[in-house]
Amino acid sequence: MQSYQEEYIANLKDITVLAARKTPDSHSYETYREMLLKNRSLLEAKITRNIELLRDGLFPLFDRLFEASPDELSMLEEFAQSLLNGKNELDSGLFCQIYQALLSRARHTKDHNAVIRYLYWLGIGRHSACSKMVGLDWNDIENYMAQMRLCFAEAAAYLKYYDDIDDVETKGYILRSRANTALGQFRSASAKIRLTRQTLQLLQDEELQQKTPQLPWERYIYMTHQQMTSSISYSRENDMTPQDVVAIMESAHIVHKRRIQEAIRSNDAPPVRSAFSCYAIEYYCGLLTLEELLGRMEELMDLADTSSFSQDAMYTIISLPAIYCQYLKEYPEQLSGRERYLESLYKKIITYTEAFPADEANELIFYYLRQLSTTFIETPHSISYGAFQQLMLLHFAPDIYVHSHVVGQAAAVLCGIILNEEPTFFDDIEYIRQIPAFAAKRQAVLELALNCGFFHDVGKINFISLFTRTARQWFEEEYEITQLHTIVGSARLNTCASTRRYAAAALGHHSWYDGSHGYPGSYKRLECPYRQMVDVIGLIDWIDNSMTYAWLYGHAKKSFDEAIRDAVALEGKRFSPLLTARLRDQAVAEALRQAFRTARDDTYRQLYQLTVQHKEPLNTL
Amino acid sequence: MEERKNADSQYLELIDQLKATNAELSDALRAAEEENRAKSSFLSSMSHDIRTPMNAIMGMTSIALSHIDEKPRVLDCLQKIQTASTHLMSLVNDVLDMSRIASGRMTLSEEAFSLADMVHDITIILRPQAAQKHQAFHMEIGQIYEENLLGDPLHLRQILVNIIGNAVKYTQEDGTIRVSISQHTEPDAHTTSDTGSKIWLDFLCEDNGIGMSQAFLEKIFEPFERVNNASVSRIEGTGLGMSIVKSLLDRMGGTITVESAEGKGSRFQVSIPFAAAPQSKSVLTLPAGQTVLIAERLDSRAQQMAAYLRDGGMETVHLQNGMDAVTWLTEAQYENRMPCALLLGLELADMSALDVTAHVRELAGRDFPIILVAETDWAQIEYRATRAGISAFVPCPLFQSRLLTALSELTYKAQRNHSDRPGMIDYCQYRLLLVEDNELNREIAIELLSQTGVQIDTAENGLLAVEAFEQSPENYYDLIFMDIQMPVMNGYEAAKKIRQLSRRDAGSIWIVAMTANAFVEDIRLSREAGMNEHCSKPVDADRLHEILRKRLELHSS
Repeated sequence: MQSYQEEYIANLKDITVLAARKTPDSHSYETYREMLLKNRSLLEAKITRNIELLRDGLFPLFDRLFEASPDELSMLEEFAQSLLNGKNELDSGLFCQIYQALLSRARHTKDHNAVIRYLYWLGIGRHSACSKMVGLDWNDIENYMAQMRLCFAEAAAYLKYYDDIDDVETKGYILRSRANTALGQFRSASAKIRLTRQTLQLLQDEELQQKTPQLPWERYIYMTHQQMTSSISYSRENDMTPQDVVAIMESAHIVHKRRIQEAIRSNDAPPVRSAFSCYAIEYYCGLLTLEELLGRMEELMDLADTSSFSQDAMYTIISLPAIYCQYLKEYPEQLSGRERYLESLYKKIITYTEAFPADEANELIFYYLRQLSTTFIETPHSISYGAFQQLMLLHFAPDIYVHSHVVGQAAAVLCGIILNEEPTFFDDIEYIRQIPAFAAKRQAVLELALNCGFFHDVGKINFISLFTRTARQWFEEEYEITQLHTIVGSARLNTCASTRRYAAAALGHHSWYDGSHGYPGSYKRLECPYRQMVDVIGLIDWIDNSMTYAWLYGHAKKSFDEAIRDAVALEGKRFSPLLTARLRDQAVAEALRQAFRTARDDTYRQLYQLTVQHKEPLNTL
Repeated sequence: MEERKNADSQYLELIDQLKATNAELSDALRAAEEENRAKSSFLSSMSHDIRTPMNAIMGMTSIALSHIDEKPRVLDCLQKIQTASTHLMSLVNDVLDMSRIASGRMTLSEEAFSLADMVHDITIILRPQAAQKHQAFHMEIGQIYEENLLGDPLHLRQILVNIIGNAVKYTQEDGTIRVSISQHTEPDAHTTSDTGSKIWLDFLCEDNGIGMSQAFLEKIFEPFERVNNASVSRIEGTGLGMSIVKSLLDRMGGTITVESAEGKGSRFQVSIPFAAAPQSKSVLTLPAGQTVLIAERLDSRAQQMAAYLRDGGMETVHLQNGMDAVTWLTEAQYENRMPCALLLGLELADMSALDVTAHVRELAGRDFPIILVAETDWAQIEYRATRAGISAFVPCPLFQSRLLTALSELTYKAQRNHSDRPGMIDYCQYRLLLVEDNELNREIAIELLSQTGVQIDTAENGLLAVEAFEQSPENYYDLIFMDIQMPVMNGYEAAKKIRQLSRRDAGSIWIVAMTANAFVEDIRLSREAGMNEHCSKPVDADRLHEILRKRLELHSS
């Protein structure tokens, strides 16, 4: 690798640690805060440096990519490979940019081998983005799935010319691309299974195998069986054909048998994932009742080794409970009698995630947590859904946690000021309108503001690495993906009764008052009874982001006064004139300045207590 | 005696006459009373119908006035006022139309019109209304002998919109409306003009809506009659529409039949004679013998496309999903047997057409014709579609002439570009300024761009670019491709300086940033510097040509 590339990677690793905000336990609050601020400025310095490295090193290389030497190209690929390596994802956005550039070059030079290889890796990079889209509606993610799948489809199309291609490695890429066309989400389980089945038939073709015996056929086949077992549709109501069921059953058996052998060889715990696949397909075929299946799942979950952070352990502790919840959600009658067990599962998950090494770049845990966030069930005595989401933010994205609390508290201050002047300001919200006494109404509005602030960014958990570990400005494609946090946040909050009131703020806080810009399109301001509150959260969120996260958007950081001035300048366009009119009042601006300052300090204190003294954070939410 | 007999007979005759007159008078009175009743009922319903949008207009106006600081709220009110005013205007127009017809003041025009254009316009008006009620709206085109007709297009349109509009109005949410349009000829019939035999336009509209009773069916074409039951009391209308339709059809020599059953739906069948418009048929240059790839989820649509293409001498391959289309094209490209075009339906079995387009555009190159054939309103998707790489749009319901014309234009252009390089598209009257400090990049860009015949001046940095622009006569350059990272003066600075010059083309010259800097900030900065578009590096030949084509064609139009 070139030196700027090595430096970029080293900075990325440092940033992962700094963003995790791990501090020793034995400091006073003052020292803790001083360390946080120091780390923060260190982190910002590293980000600035990384942007410089790309501007001075990588972009000039892109600029003259057609005349780049083979050495430069090979180092560029090496650099890309260290950005996204297996489950360790340091910078998948940059990985895609590099492979997109290399692909353009290869198409131009008509180098088929290179085209195939780059298509494969570009597909892998895009898959990384797709894996963050758990819990989103198919219509919102379809184009990302298509972009990924078409890369693999084009590379796989060269299968027809397998004999013409003399490079064995390229042949491997063709076969792997063929298998990867079944990656990601599909409109129906059957489509995914059909593709996987076709791949299996192809890989098991002896004639094809004999053409390139050097390739790891057995591994390809085994991985495709794994792919097949992951295609299982858990609900009997879904659309698997008898052929699909047979194929999955066969694959589940093969995978499980091999995993048992491996476990015996290495003295490991019995394989949970493959065992579950076998149970699930047996249930699907009616060989097990749902009662029996849930019982078997409980047995598997009880086997979990909470001290291990291996893939299997993470799966057993987080993903399997997510699937368990999914069954209970679909068949609510099964929940009765299982509440206590579910509550114990949640406790186990929280303890486990709190112990998870925060500087670990393994994306898998986020994937599993996203699954759980989508299927979570609230029970009377369980942790609330909101508290669970806050805990996830606290542990994996402390900056977003701080930001959310600051927004909530500052929004409550602004709402208090507005209510003093206009007590019916939020009366479009029915339950607020129905509160007759002003004091009670005021209390309800402030609580709503506080919680809307706390929860407005929960959707960012889906894209945690983009928000907390991006060591540079975003690329345009990444910016588009991050915009989905509004949709996923709102969908999450709508899942549970306790958080439903805050969903509108999560959905609409990036919309523009006049509808001319902003996102998402699914938020229609005038149709939303919560719109005045959404406007408040949008304004406060923007002010805080302007003062803290400006780099991601390519803006310079603003002071509080600059942010207020710029917000007023956007009156009637981005922000409601009913709110910006108040910002013109010096006393209101001062109150807000104080609110931001106090809220940040309060949240740091809370963080200090929670993370340093390990206090339970849940009672406050 | 005889006299008396005569007198009696006369008397009886008189009595009979009197009786007959009385009966006539009685009938006339009944008719007058009936008409009066209908008119009273009409006046009553009109008062209600006029009051309804008037209420909306007045109500929304006062809401807007009381929320004058809330722009979106005011905008929402204005939009509702606009809708109500449009409705009010249509009520008044109906009444005026009826009055014109009744007084014999209405005349039919005879002008040439395109059936395809008319059907497309009608679809644009009615499809959104059906979509709002989540109705399935199918419009099919059968055998068409002549697309260009001679007749009264405005009144034909009124007839069709009225019938289909009623179907939408009187069909419940999630209902289905089927419209079919075809033609038949009568070779033996007398001619309506000197252009040949009459061509009968057959129009059929079926719905599964609320339907009509037999009693109402008998009066359906009488003025001021409306279906009178609770489910339609909230549906706006004057009760003049069908009466106008019938009167117009009578004047046009057409026929209308209606079948309906309450709760099951209605079926209107209309036939109207037209003459073919005299016109010289334009000769299409179709790629006969070549293959067209059709990627379309609906078999029926694909079959229709294939039939039209076969008529034009082309062969077709039909695939239903995007992945298969990309696989097929990759193989075709490898084997040098690329089809002459790709026809895409909007939704394929596995993904959207625009996702496939973006990939195919990269795979197949800038000239490869990709035609979107869909029912959608093009204006709604044009930006996204052209950005993805769609070359042309053909609306559904599909007319053969439209499909073949689009295909002919695109394949001709593509063929000319392919076989006639470097003369390709004739851009030799245009001149662009290429600002790029890297010599090899400059050479590559010149090589790619010069294939189009465009005249290229170059500058090695921003300062030289500003000087070149400043020293050139006004409107000398049509386009500037501007690198960003350059010595002496960078692209942002140069663009800003060009925009600040006091000459008329300083603000309008199209400047495209060519840069490897891909952060959101870079795109924002290039916009802030006054650049119009962003083209990422390494330079992609297709993207470069796409910008050139779009900009220069827009410029020339």
